[in-house]
Amino acid sequence: MSEPIRVLVVDDDQSFRTNMTELLNRQEGISAACAESGDAALEVLAREAYDVVLLDMLMPGLSAHGTVREMRRRGLGAAVIVVTGHASVDDAVEMINLGAYDYLLKPCTIKEIVQKVTWAQEWRRLQPPQ
Amino acid sequence: MSPQSRPGGRPGPASAAAGGAHLAAQWGLPLGVLLGALAAARLPGAGGALAAGAAALLAAFTVHRLRLRIRAASQERGSLSEQLVQSQKLAVLGELSSGIAHEINTPLAVIGQEAELLRADLETLEHGPAREALGRRLDSIEAQVRRCGDITHGMLQLVRKAAPVLQPVVLAQLCEDMALLAEREARRREVRIVRRYAPGLPETLTDPPQLKQVVLNLLVNAVQAVRPGGRVELAVGPGAPGWSEIQVRDDGPGIPEENLSRIFNPFFTTKPPGQGTGLGLSVCLGIVDRLGGTLGAANAPGGGAVFTVRLPEGANPPEPGPALAR
Repeated sequence: MSEPIRVLVVDDDQSFRTNMTELLNRQEGISAACAESGDAALEVLAREAYDVVLLDMLMPGLSAHGTVREMRRRGLGAAVIVVTGHASVDDAVEMINLGAYDYLLKPCTIKEIVQKVTWAQEWRRLQPPQ
Repeated sequence: MSPQSRPGGRPGPASAAAGGAHLAAQWGLPLGVLLGALAAARLPGAGGALAAGAAALLAAFTVHRLRLRIRAASQERGSLSEQLVQSQKLAVLGELSSGIAHEINTPLAVIGQEAELLRADLETLEHGPAREALGRRLDSIEAQVRRCGDITHGMLQLVRKAAPVLQPVVLAQLCEDMALLAEREARRREVRIVRRYAPGLPETLTDPPQLKQVVLNLLVNAVQAVRPGGRVELAVGPGAPGWSEIQVRDDGPGIPEENLSRIFNPFFTTKPPGQGTGLGLSVCLGIVDRLGGTLGAANAPGGGAVFTVRLPEGANPPEPGPALAR
Protein backbone atom coordinates (compact mmCIF):
# COMPACT_ATOMS: atom_id res chain seq x y z
CA MET A 1 0.00 0.00 0.00
CA SER A 2 1.35 3.42 -0.94
CA GLU A 3 2.18 6.11 1.61
CA PRO A 4 -0.71 8.42 2.50
CA ILE A 5 -0.64 11.99 1.22
CA ARG A 6 0.36 14.18 4.16
CA VAL A 7 -1.68 17.37 4.31
CA LEU A 8 -1.23 20.37 6.60
CA VAL A 9 -4.30 22.55 7.08
CA VAL A 10 -3.39 26.15 7.95
CA ASP A 11 -6.31 28.37 8.95
CA ASP A 12 -6.90 30.80 11.82
CA ASP A 13 -10.58 29.76 12.07
CA GLN A 14 -10.57 26.92 14.58
CA SER A 15 -13.85 25.33 13.42
CA PHE A 16 -12.78 25.33 9.79
CA ARG A 17 -9.33 24.00 10.60
CA THR A 18 -10.41 21.14 12.89
CA ASN A 19 -13.36 20.12 10.68
CA MET A 20 -11.18 20.09 7.58
CA THR A 21 -8.52 18.02 9.33
CA GLU A 22 -11.14 15.53 10.53
CA LEU A 23 -12.78 15.29 7.10
CA LEU A 24 -9.40 14.73 5.42
CA ASN A 25 -8.41 12.08 7.95
CA ARG A 26 -11.61 10.20 7.11
CA GLN A 27 -10.49 9.98 3.48
CA GLU A 28 -8.59 6.93 2.38
CA GLY A 29 -4.95 7.64 1.57
CA ILE A 30 -4.77 11.01 3.33
CA SER A 31 -3.21 11.89 6.67
CA ALA A 32 -3.86 15.45 7.90
CA ALA A 33 -2.72 17.77 10.68
CA CYS A 34 -3.35 21.45 11.28
CA ALA A 35 -1.74 24.74 12.30
CA GLU A 36 -3.41 28.00 13.28
CA SER A 37 -1.10 30.49 11.53
CA GLY A 38 1.63 30.90 8.95
CA ASP A 39 4.29 31.04 11.67
CA ALA A 40 2.98 27.87 13.32
CA ALA A 41 2.87 26.17 9.91
CA LEU A 42 6.54 26.97 9.28
CA GLU A 43 7.43 25.46 12.66
CA VAL A 44 5.51 22.26 11.86
CA LEU A 45 7.03 22.08 8.39
CA ALA A 46 10.53 22.43 9.88
CA ARG A 47 9.90 19.31 12.00
CA GLU A 48 7.91 17.11 9.61
CA ALA A 49 7.61 16.73 5.86
CA TYR A 50 4.22 17.37 4.27
CA ASP A 51 3.13 16.86 0.68
CA VAL A 52 0.38 19.45 0.49
CA VAL A 53 -0.39 22.59 2.50
CA LEU A 54 -3.94 23.97 2.48
CA LEU A 55 -3.30 27.62 3.25
CA ASP A 56 -5.83 30.26 4.25
CA MET A 57 -5.34 33.54 2.44
CA LEU A 58 -6.00 36.02 5.23
CA MET A 59 -4.53 35.23 8.64
CA PRO A 60 -3.16 37.27 11.52
CA GLY A 61 0.62 37.26 11.77
CA LEU A 62 2.58 35.98 8.80
CA SER A 63 0.49 36.40 5.67
CA ALA A 64 -0.16 33.66 3.14
CA HIS A 65 2.23 35.47 0.77
CA GLY A 66 4.90 35.56 3.47
CA THR A 67 4.37 31.90 4.34
CA VAL A 68 4.79 30.76 0.73
CA ARG A 69 7.84 32.97 0.25
CA GLU A 70 9.43 31.59 3.41
CA MET A 71 8.61 28.00 2.42
CA ARG A 72 10.31 28.52 -0.92
CA ARG A 73 13.30 30.26 0.70
CA ARG A 74 13.75 27.29 3.05
CA GLY A 75 13.43 24.84 0.17
CA LEU A 76 10.22 23.26 1.51
CA GLY A 77 8.73 21.55 -1.48
CA ALA A 78 5.13 20.98 -0.30
CA ALA A 79 2.51 21.94 -2.85
CA VAL A 80 0.45 24.89 -1.61
CA ILE A 81 -3.27 25.11 -2.27
CA VAL A 82 -4.72 28.46 -1.23
CA VAL A 83 -8.18 28.09 0.26
CA THR A 84 -9.66 31.55 0.45
CA GLY A 85 -12.88 33.09 1.63
CA HIS A 86 -11.45 36.49 0.87
CA ALA A 87 -12.88 38.63 -1.88
CA SER A 88 -9.65 39.14 -3.72
CA VAL A 89 -9.38 36.40 -6.29
CA ASP A 90 -6.58 38.50 -7.76
CA ASP A 91 -4.59 37.84 -4.57
CA ALA A 92 -5.05 34.12 -5.14
CA VAL A 93 -3.77 34.51 -8.69
CA GLU A 94 -0.79 36.41 -7.29
CA MET A 95 -0.19 33.47 -4.92
CA ILE A 96 -0.03 31.14 -7.91
CA ASN A 97 2.55 33.44 -9.44
CA LEU A 98 4.51 33.15 -6.18
CA GLY A 99 4.58 29.37 -6.54
CA ALA A 100 1.30 28.12 -5.04
CA TYR A 101 -0.10 25.12 -6.91
CA ASP A 102 -3.78 26.09 -6.99
CA TYR A 103 -6.54 27.86 -5.12
CA LEU A 104 -10.07 27.12 -3.99
CA LEU A 105 -12.83 29.44 -2.91
CA LYS A 106 -14.67 28.77 0.33
CA PRO A 107 -17.17 27.23 0.71
CA CYS A 108 -15.94 24.11 -1.04
CA THR A 109 -16.77 20.46 -0.53
CA ILE A 110 -14.41 17.80 0.76
CA LYS A 111 -14.71 16.16 -2.65
CA GLU A 112 -13.28 19.27 -4.33
CA ILE A 113 -10.50 19.50 -1.74
CA VAL A 114 -9.56 15.84 -2.10
CA GLN A 115 -9.47 16.18 -5.89
CA LYS A 116 -7.12 19.18 -5.71
CA VAL A 117 -4.95 17.46 -3.07
CA THR A 118 -4.64 14.37 -5.28
CA TRP A 119 -3.76 16.45 -8.33
CA ALA A 120 -1.25 18.45 -6.30
CA GLN A 121 0.43 15.24 -5.18
CA GLU A 122 0.58 13.98 -8.77
CA TRP A 123 2.10 17.30 -9.80
CA ARG A 124 4.73 17.01 -7.03
CA ARG A 125 5.70 13.56 -8.21
CA LEU A 126 6.30 14.93 -11.70
CA GLN A 127 8.61 17.69 -10.42
CA PRO A 128 12.37 17.11 -10.73
CA PRO A 129 14.00 16.46 -7.33
CA GLN A 130 15.34 19.63 -5.66
CA MET B 1 -32.61 51.04 -29.88
CA SER B 2 -31.54 54.17 -28.13
CA PRO B 3 -28.03 55.35 -28.86
CA GLN B 4 -25.57 55.03 -26.04
CA SER B 5 -22.14 56.41 -25.53
CA ARG B 6 -18.96 55.22 -24.00
CA PRO B 7 -18.89 55.39 -20.21
CA GLY B 8 -16.35 57.65 -18.68
CA GLY B 9 -17.47 60.74 -20.58
CA ARG B 10 -18.45 63.68 -18.45
CA PRO B 11 -22.13 64.34 -18.89
CA GLY B 12 -23.27 67.90 -18.38
CA PRO B 13 -26.53 68.56 -16.58
CA ALA B 14 -29.49 67.51 -18.68
CA SER B 15 -31.15 70.79 -17.77
CA ALA B 16 -28.49 72.65 -19.78
CA ALA B 17 -29.61 70.89 -22.96
CA ALA B 18 -33.24 71.52 -22.14
CA GLY B 19 -32.36 75.16 -21.54
CA GLY B 20 -30.65 75.26 -24.94
CA ALA B 21 -33.79 73.98 -26.64
CA HIS B 22 -35.82 76.59 -24.82
CA LEU B 23 -33.46 79.37 -25.90
CA ALA B 24 -33.61 78.20 -29.52
CA ALA B 25 -37.40 78.23 -29.41
CA GLN B 26 -37.49 81.62 -27.72
CA TRP B 27 -34.98 83.42 -29.93
CA GLY B 28 -35.10 81.49 -33.22
CA LEU B 29 -38.20 83.00 -34.79
CA PRO B 30 -37.58 86.59 -33.62
CA LEU B 31 -34.10 86.21 -35.12
CA GLY B 32 -35.64 85.11 -38.41
CA VAL B 33 -38.03 88.07 -38.38
CA LEU B 34 -35.18 90.44 -37.57
CA LEU B 35 -33.08 89.05 -40.44
CA GLY B 36 -36.10 89.34 -42.72
CA ALA B 37 -36.73 92.96 -41.62
CA LEU B 38 -33.10 93.84 -42.25
CA ALA B 39 -33.29 92.26 -45.68
CA ALA B 40 -36.54 94.14 -46.45
CA ALA B 41 -34.95 97.42 -45.32
CA ARG B 42 -31.95 96.96 -47.57
CA LEU B 43 -34.00 95.64 -50.51
CA PRO B 44 -37.14 97.71 -50.87
CA GLY B 45 -40.11 96.47 -52.95
CA ALA B 46 -41.06 92.93 -53.97
CA GLY B 47 -37.42 91.79 -53.86
CA GLY B 48 -37.18 92.86 -50.22
CA ALA B 49 -40.39 90.99 -49.20
CA LEU B 50 -39.15 87.85 -50.98
CA ALA B 51 -35.78 88.07 -49.25
CA ALA B 52 -37.50 88.65 -45.90
CA GLY B 53 -39.66 85.54 -46.39
CA ALA B 54 -36.68 83.43 -47.46
CA ALA B 55 -34.67 84.60 -44.47
CA ALA B 56 -37.53 83.78 -42.09
CA LEU B 57 -37.90 80.30 -43.64
CA LEU B 58 -34.16 79.71 -43.45
CA ALA B 59 -34.09 80.79 -39.82
CA ALA B 60 -37.08 78.57 -38.96
CA PHE B 61 -35.42 75.60 -40.70
CA THR B 62 -32.12 76.27 -38.88
CA VAL B 63 -33.93 76.51 -35.56
CA HIS B 64 -35.73 73.23 -36.25
CA ARG B 65 -32.42 71.48 -37.04
CA LEU B 66 -30.87 73.02 -33.93
CA ARG B 67 -33.71 71.80 -31.74
CA LEU B 68 -33.39 68.26 -33.11
CA ARG B 69 -29.65 68.24 -32.42
CA ILE B 70 -30.16 69.60 -28.91
CA ARG B 71 -32.82 66.97 -28.22
CA ALA B 72 -30.45 64.20 -29.44
CA ALA B 73 -27.65 65.63 -27.28
CA SER B 74 -30.00 65.72 -24.32
CA GLN B 75 -30.88 62.02 -24.79
CA GLU B 76 -27.19 61.18 -25.17
CA ARG B 77 -26.36 63.02 -21.94
CA GLY B 78 -29.21 61.27 -20.17
CA SER B 79 -27.84 57.91 -21.27
CA LEU B 80 -24.30 58.82 -20.18
CA SER B 81 -25.58 60.02 -16.86
CA GLU B 82 -27.45 56.74 -16.30
CA GLN B 83 -24.31 54.74 -17.11
CA LEU B 84 -22.22 56.88 -14.78
CA VAL B 85 -24.69 56.40 -11.93
CA GLN B 86 -24.77 52.66 -12.68
CA SER B 87 -20.95 52.45 -12.60
CA GLN B 88 -20.80 54.36 -9.31
CA LYS B 89 -23.47 52.11 -7.77
CA LEU B 90 -21.54 49.04 -8.92
CA ALA B 91 -18.31 50.35 -7.40
CA VAL B 92 -19.94 50.99 -4.00
CA LEU B 93 -21.80 47.69 -4.01
CA GLY B 94 -18.66 45.92 -5.14
CA GLU B 95 -16.72 47.15 -2.12
CA LEU B 96 -19.61 46.22 0.17
CA SER B 97 -19.92 42.79 -1.44
CA SER B 98 -16.21 42.18 -0.97
CA GLY B 99 -16.51 42.59 2.79
CA ILE B 100 -19.69 40.52 3.01
CA ALA B 101 -18.24 37.68 0.93
CA HIS B 102 -15.16 37.60 3.10
CA GLU B 103 -17.14 37.46 6.34
CA ILE B 104 -19.65 34.89 5.10
CA ASN B 105 -17.53 32.39 3.19
CA THR B 106 -15.67 30.84 6.11
CA PRO B 107 -18.75 30.27 8.34
CA LEU B 108 -20.54 28.97 5.24
CA ALA B 109 -17.68 26.55 4.66
CA VAL B 110 -17.92 25.42 8.29
CA ILE B 111 -21.68 24.73 7.92
CA GLY B 112 -20.90 22.65 4.84
CA GLN B 113 -18.17 20.76 6.72
CA GLU B 114 -20.50 20.04 9.65
CA ALA B 115 -23.07 18.66 7.23
CA GLU B 116 -20.43 16.44 5.62
CA LEU B 117 -19.29 15.18 9.03
CA LEU B 118 -22.89 14.48 10.04
CA ARG B 119 -23.41 12.58 6.80
CA ALA B 120 -20.39 10.44 7.57
CA ASP B 121 -21.83 9.77 11.07
CA LEU B 122 -25.20 8.97 9.50
CA GLU B 123 -23.61 6.21 7.45
CA THR B 124 -22.88 4.38 10.72
CA LEU B 125 -26.58 4.29 11.70
CA GLU B 126 -28.93 1.50 10.74
CA HIS B 127 -31.09 1.95 7.66
CA GLY B 128 -34.62 3.10 8.40
CA PRO B 129 -37.06 6.01 8.04
CA ALA B 130 -35.20 8.14 10.60
CA ARG B 131 -31.91 7.80 8.73
CA GLU B 132 -33.64 8.56 5.41
CA ALA B 133 -35.28 11.67 6.86
CA LEU B 134 -32.00 12.92 8.33
CA GLY B 135 -30.29 12.28 5.00
CA ARG B 136 -32.87 14.44 3.21
CA ARG B 137 -32.35 17.25 5.71
CA LEU B 138 -28.60 17.08 5.14
CA ASP B 139 -29.23 17.19 1.37
CA SER B 140 -31.18 20.37 1.94
CA ILE B 141 -28.46 21.97 4.09
CA GLU B 142 -25.79 21.13 1.50
CA ALA B 143 -27.94 22.47 -1.35
CA GLN B 144 -28.47 25.76 0.51
CA VAL B 145 -24.75 26.05 1.26
CA ARG B 146 -24.06 25.59 -2.46
CA ARG B 147 -26.68 28.23 -3.26
CA CYS B 148 -25.13 30.73 -0.83
CA GLY B 149 -21.70 29.84 -2.22
CA ASP B 150 -22.89 30.64 -5.75
CA ILE B 151 -24.01 34.05 -4.50
CA THR B 152 -20.79 34.89 -2.65
CA HIS B 153 -18.67 33.66 -5.56
CA GLY B 154 -20.75 35.87 -7.86
CA MET B 155 -20.08 38.76 -5.50
CA LEU B 156 -16.35 38.09 -5.80
CA GLN B 157 -16.62 38.36 -9.57
CA LEU B 158 -18.28 41.75 -9.12
CA VAL B 159 -15.20 43.18 -7.44
CA ARG B 160 -12.66 41.41 -9.57
CA LYS B 161 -10.61 44.17 -11.08
CA ALA B 162 -8.13 42.19 -13.14
CA ALA B 163 -6.71 44.42 -15.84
CA PRO B 164 -7.80 43.15 -19.25
CA VAL B 165 -5.16 41.31 -21.25
CA LEU B 166 -5.75 42.70 -24.72
CA GLN B 167 -5.30 40.52 -27.79
CA PRO B 168 -6.49 40.87 -31.38
CA VAL B 169 -9.71 38.89 -31.64
CA VAL B 170 -12.01 37.92 -34.51
CA LEU B 171 -15.31 38.73 -32.84
CA ALA B 172 -17.36 36.46 -35.10
CA GLN B 173 -15.18 33.48 -34.16
CA LEU B 174 -15.36 34.26 -30.45
CA CYS B 175 -19.15 34.64 -30.68
CA GLU B 176 -19.47 31.43 -32.69
CA ASP B 177 -17.55 29.50 -30.00
CA MET B 178 -19.98 30.79 -27.38
CA ALA B 179 -23.00 30.13 -29.61
CA LEU B 180 -21.90 26.48 -29.88
CA LEU B 181 -21.73 26.28 -26.08
CA ALA B 182 -25.12 27.96 -25.60
CA GLU B 183 -26.66 25.68 -28.20
CA ARG B 184 -26.59 22.79 -25.73
CA GLU B 185 -29.03 24.66 -23.52
CA ALA B 186 -30.91 25.98 -26.57
CA ARG B 187 -31.52 22.51 -28.04
CA ARG B 188 -32.83 21.27 -24.73
CA ARG B 189 -35.34 24.12 -24.78
CA GLU B 190 -36.07 23.83 -28.54
CA VAL B 191 -34.71 27.30 -29.17
CA ARG B 192 -32.89 28.24 -32.39
CA ILE B 193 -29.79 30.45 -32.35
CA VAL B 194 -29.52 32.37 -35.62
CA ARG B 195 -26.16 33.92 -36.52
CA ARG B 196 -25.57 37.12 -38.47
CA TYR B 197 -21.88 37.83 -38.78
CA ALA B 198 -20.87 40.77 -40.99
CA PRO B 199 -17.99 39.76 -43.28
CA GLY B 200 -14.65 41.54 -43.34
CA LEU B 201 -14.86 42.98 -39.84
CA PRO B 202 -11.39 44.05 -38.58
CA GLU B 203 -9.96 42.32 -35.52
CA THR B 204 -10.85 43.85 -32.17
CA LEU B 205 -8.27 44.40 -29.44
CA THR B 206 -9.93 42.94 -26.34
CA ASP B 207 -9.68 40.36 -23.55
CA PRO B 208 -11.06 37.11 -25.02
CA PRO B 209 -11.86 35.15 -21.80
CA GLN B 210 -13.67 38.11 -20.25
CA LEU B 211 -15.60 38.90 -23.41
CA LYS B 212 -16.54 35.22 -23.80
CA GLN B 213 -18.08 35.34 -20.34
CA VAL B 214 -20.21 38.31 -21.40
CA VAL B 215 -21.38 36.80 -24.69
CA LEU B 216 -22.18 33.42 -23.11
CA ASN B 217 -24.11 35.09 -20.29
CA LEU B 218 -26.19 37.16 -22.73
CA LEU B 219 -26.87 34.13 -24.93
CA VAL B 220 -27.93 31.88 -22.06
CA ASN B 221 -30.17 34.63 -20.66
CA ALA B 222 -31.78 35.06 -24.09
CA VAL B 223 -32.28 31.31 -24.54
CA GLN B 224 -33.92 31.12 -21.12
CA ALA B 225 -36.16 34.10 -21.91
CA VAL B 226 -37.91 32.63 -24.97
CA ARG B 227 -40.54 29.92 -25.22
CA PRO B 228 -39.90 26.52 -26.84
CA GLY B 229 -39.68 27.06 -30.59
CA GLY B 230 -38.36 30.58 -30.01
CA ARG B 231 -35.48 32.32 -31.69
CA VAL B 232 -32.33 34.07 -30.51
CA GLU B 233 -30.31 36.15 -32.93
CA LEU B 234 -26.59 36.71 -32.45
CA ALA B 235 -25.22 39.47 -34.66
CA VAL B 236 -21.72 40.84 -35.05
CA GLY B 237 -21.14 43.92 -37.15
CA PRO B 238 -19.46 47.27 -37.46
CA GLY B 239 -20.56 50.14 -35.25
CA ALA B 240 -19.41 53.72 -35.52
CA PRO B 241 -15.95 54.14 -37.10
CA GLY B 242 -13.42 52.40 -34.86
CA TRP B 243 -16.11 50.40 -33.02
CA SER B 244 -17.64 46.94 -33.33
CA GLU B 245 -20.93 45.67 -32.03
CA ILE B 246 -22.30 42.39 -30.78
CA GLN B 247 -26.06 42.12 -30.46
CA VAL B 248 -28.08 39.38 -28.80
CA ARG B 249 -31.77 39.64 -29.58
CA ASP B 250 -34.56 37.31 -28.57
CA ASP B 251 -38.23 37.01 -29.43
CA GLY B 252 -39.31 36.54 -25.82
CA PRO B 253 -41.61 38.79 -23.83
CA GLY B 254 -39.05 41.59 -23.63
CA ILE B 255 -38.11 43.56 -20.52
CA PRO B 256 -40.90 45.36 -18.65
CA GLU B 257 -40.30 49.11 -18.86
CA GLU B 258 -40.10 49.39 -15.07
CA ASN B 259 -37.24 46.84 -15.03
CA LEU B 260 -35.14 48.38 -17.81
CA SER B 261 -33.34 50.70 -15.42
CA ARG B 262 -32.77 47.93 -12.86
CA ILE B 263 -31.60 44.91 -14.81
CA PHE B 264 -27.91 45.76 -14.36
CA ASN B 265 -28.30 46.19 -10.60
CA PRO B 266 -26.57 43.48 -8.59
CA PHE B 267 -29.00 40.87 -7.22
CA PHE B 268 -31.85 42.02 -9.48
CA THR B 269 -33.46 38.96 -11.03
CA THR B 270 -36.84 37.96 -12.37
CA LYS B 271 -36.00 34.26 -12.15
CA PRO B 272 -37.57 32.12 -9.42
CA PRO B 273 -35.68 31.95 -6.12
CA GLY B 274 -32.64 29.72 -6.31
CA GLN B 275 -32.45 29.81 -10.11
CA GLY B 276 -30.40 32.94 -10.55
CA THR B 277 -28.21 35.10 -8.36
CA GLY B 278 -29.04 38.30 -10.22
CA LEU B 279 -25.35 39.02 -10.61
CA GLY B 280 -24.77 37.92 -14.23
CA LEU B 281 -25.64 41.19 -15.96
CA SER B 282 -23.85 43.29 -13.29
CA VAL B 283 -20.71 41.24 -13.86
CA CYS B 284 -21.14 41.63 -17.65
CA LEU B 285 -21.52 45.40 -17.31
CA GLY B 286 -18.38 45.58 -15.15
CA ILE B 287 -16.39 43.55 -17.70
CA VAL B 288 -17.55 45.56 -20.72
CA ASP B 289 -16.83 48.76 -18.82
CA ARG B 290 -13.26 47.59 -18.15
CA LEU B 291 -12.89 46.67 -21.82
CA GLY B 292 -13.68 50.29 -22.69
CA GLY B 293 -17.05 49.51 -24.22
CA THR B 294 -20.72 49.83 -23.38
CA LEU B 295 -23.48 47.34 -22.69
CA GLY B 296 -27.03 48.43 -23.32
CA ALA B 297 -30.42 46.77 -22.98
CA ALA B 298 -33.63 47.69 -24.79
CA ASN B 299 -36.84 46.25 -26.11
CA ALA B 300 -36.78 45.54 -29.84
CA PRO B 301 -39.50 47.31 -31.87
CA GLY B 302 -40.91 43.96 -33.03
CA GLY B 303 -40.92 42.50 -29.51
CA GLY B 304 -38.29 40.74 -27.41
CA ALA B 305 -35.20 42.09 -25.73
CA VAL B 306 -31.99 43.22 -27.35
CA PHE B 307 -28.62 43.56 -25.64
CA THR B 308 -25.85 45.44 -27.42
CA VAL B 309 -22.17 45.26 -26.59
CA ARG B 310 -20.16 48.01 -28.24
CA LEU B 311 -16.42 47.56 -28.22
CA PRO B 312 -13.56 49.75 -29.39
CA GLU B 313 -11.50 48.04 -32.09
CA GLY B 314 -8.23 49.44 -30.74
CA ALA B 315 -6.75 50.76 -27.53
CA ASN B 316 -7.59 54.41 -28.28
CA PRO B 317 -11.04 54.42 -29.79
CA PRO B 318 -12.82 57.45 -31.18
CA GLU B 319 -16.12 58.46 -29.60
CA PRO B 320 -18.81 56.02 -30.70
CA GLY B 321 -21.68 57.12 -32.85
CA PRO B 322 -25.23 55.79 -32.69
CA ALA B 323 -25.81 52.07 -32.26
CA LEU B 324 -25.77 49.78 -35.27
CA ALA B 325 -29.12 49.94 -36.99
CA ARG B 326 -30.76 46.64 -37.96
